[in-house]
Amino acid sequence: MFPEGLKHGAVFPADIKLVNEKGEEQTLGDVLNGKRTLLVFFISAAPASVEELGKIDKFAADNKGDTQIIFANADTVGVALLGGGSVAIPETVRTINLIKQEKALTQPMFVAPNNVFDANGLSNRLGFRGLPTSYLIAADGKVEKQYVGTREWKPGDI
Amino acid sequence: MRISRRDCLTGAFGAGASLALSGMGVNPAMSAVHDASKEGQHALFNKFKNNVILIPGKYNGTVSAMDLSVPETMAWYNFGRSGIDMPIPHHIAAMPSADPYKGFDFYQTMQPPGAPYVNENSPEWRDRGDFKMFKMRYDGSGSQNSISVVSDVSAATGMALGVHVSIGVGPNAEKYVAFADGQKDMVLITTIDDDPKIVKAFRADYDPNSRELSISHIFPDGSTGKFDFQGRKGMKTSHEAMLGEELMPADPTAVFVDAFTWHPTLPLGAILIRRHGCCAIVNTETWEPVALLSTAKGAPDHFNLIRQSGYTWTYSIPSVLTPLHEAGFITSGQFFLACNNVLQNNVAVYRSEDPDPMKWKKENFVEGFGTKYLPLHMGNVPDSRWVFFTIWARKPNNGFICKVDPKTWQVVAKWDTGPDPHTCDCTVDGKYITTVYSGNQSGQSGLVVIDADTDEIVARLPTAAGAHDHVVVPESWEGLKSSRSTSV
Repeated sequence: MFPEGLKHGAVFPADIKLVNEKGEEQTLGDVLNGKRTLLVFFISAAPASVEELGKIDKFAADNKGDTQIIFANADTVGVALLGGGSVAIPETVRTINLIKQEKALTQPMFVAPNNVFDANGLSNRLGFRGLPTSYLIAADGKVEKQYVGTREWKPGDI
Repeated sequence: MRISRRDCLTGAFGAGASLALSGMGVNPAMSAVHDASKEGQHALFNKFKNNVILIPGKYNGTVSAMDLSVPETMAWYNFGRSGIDMPIPHHIAAMPSADPYKGFDFYQTMQPPGAPYVNENSPEWRDRGDFKMFKMRYDGSGSQNSISVVSDVSAATGMALGVHVSIGVGPNAEKYVAFADGQKDMVLITTIDDDPKIVKAFRADYDPNSRELSISHIFPDGSTGKFDFQGRKGMKTSHEAMLGEELMPADPTAVFVDAFTWHPTLPLGAILIRRHGCCAIVNTETWEPVALLSTAKGAPDHFNLIRQSGYTWTYSIPSVLTPLHEAGFITSGQFFLACNNVLQNNVAVYRSEDPDPMKWKKENFVEGFGTKYLPLHMGNVPDSRWVFFTIWARKPNNGFICKVDPKTWQVVAKWDTGPDPHTCDCTVDGKYITTVYSGNQSGQSGLVVIDADTDEIVARLPTAAGAHDHVVVPESWEGLKSSRSTSV
């Protein structure tokens, strides 16, 4: 139930599918593109998770340096009931655009399709249960740090 | 001159008018309780006399009271009349009534529609609906049957919870009603009077870093005497974890509290915690948690209390082998049964007679459901000769209802009643099982009546609006023990 998840130094899987704000499909590898990255998985259904995006966005303004920050909504748990990804993903793309506008976020946002029924679904594969869960991924694609839950961000975290 | 249905049957005028109407080809039985004795279906349904079933229509915003012996809807109420935009009547429990045709009280919870069943991801739905608990009253004493709101328990207490409601029995009979909600992870106990008073409230939180679960007493504001958890306040997650989705990513502190079930003979109750597969047993005299049952097969019988600080009890949960959905007591109180699902699909059987829940042990498991079918709800009969379970399955599978022999804990009968089966209850005489299926909130749906001993499906009635729950109005406080109290 509580998988260990990715450890410090593990290579973060670059084949993870993401859908950008325009609804275009990409892989995480495309987005990382060799850059040090803070990847923040959030769930639009959890208010604390959405609020955290605003905190990170503000913190990043002065503290991110060369690190890119991306927000990925893993809240597509109802995919099977909604009739599959063809229905759920476009709806979730609408949701991230709305959140970005409402919270005045500046970092790029993505949908990270996640099927919890599937053992290889995103959250099962990466081993996260509570969102936000953030991964700091080094330029070489390895996990530098992992943060579970909301936090008070401080210099040196990113 | 206007003639009411009840007037038609009272006094000499009533007799004459009834005859006259009969001669005109008008239904002669124009009383508030319909006389169906001259109708073709009478022979089939008359055996259900004195069984009134409450059916919340999850997606039509209504609750209706049905006389199963006619059958007809006696009265119905649309919660839009209470000012709720897109009401979702969710779970229900009925107080006992010696004559449900004349009147009875019941409780109805509701939640906002921000669930994937509707369309979780549509931003347009986010602000519709509401969390509410209403005490309701059916009045069949006059010429116009009616259902009305007696009190808005959420407004009276300042805490709005939208999932299971259960009424105290045994040592807690005629005192308390419990409400729970897995979006806020809270439980509220109030008095059952028309002006409900706060008795106790709990909140559960998980710390994913230390892997500890805390159960805390929470208190209303001293100046107002109320909580500040109406509407969406206190909500961790904007939709309830759907069936089988206990493992969905959520707020890190989420545990998905689902219900409070009452021991029928001891001053104990259980807070059901879906996500972590555990049940906190609470002493209902002190309201202190006294044990945390770990219900998975292969897990210890209990999780360990590692500290108590003030009004917070903290337990270590190093690992969870499976979540659960519901859990409750068999009518006799001899056993506590927990519907493990998702990672394990079985029903854990604890012996629950000892007043000290730390001595409760898992004695058995009901098994054989495979990976596709998820134990969900349980239903009792008054003499505890059988236990019934709803075994749910994801589309395109229907799921089924099964009967278990508590002497052997083997499944002895099962019925594919229809797609998306939900709760089971029993008629007041314990002879028949009632169960609803909702067609995944949009398709085939109905209420099925099963002979509990011959296993025959004896009736099937349509229910519009995706019934997610129902309850037979119990005839006494003793009868409530096999209704929505010991189990959900």
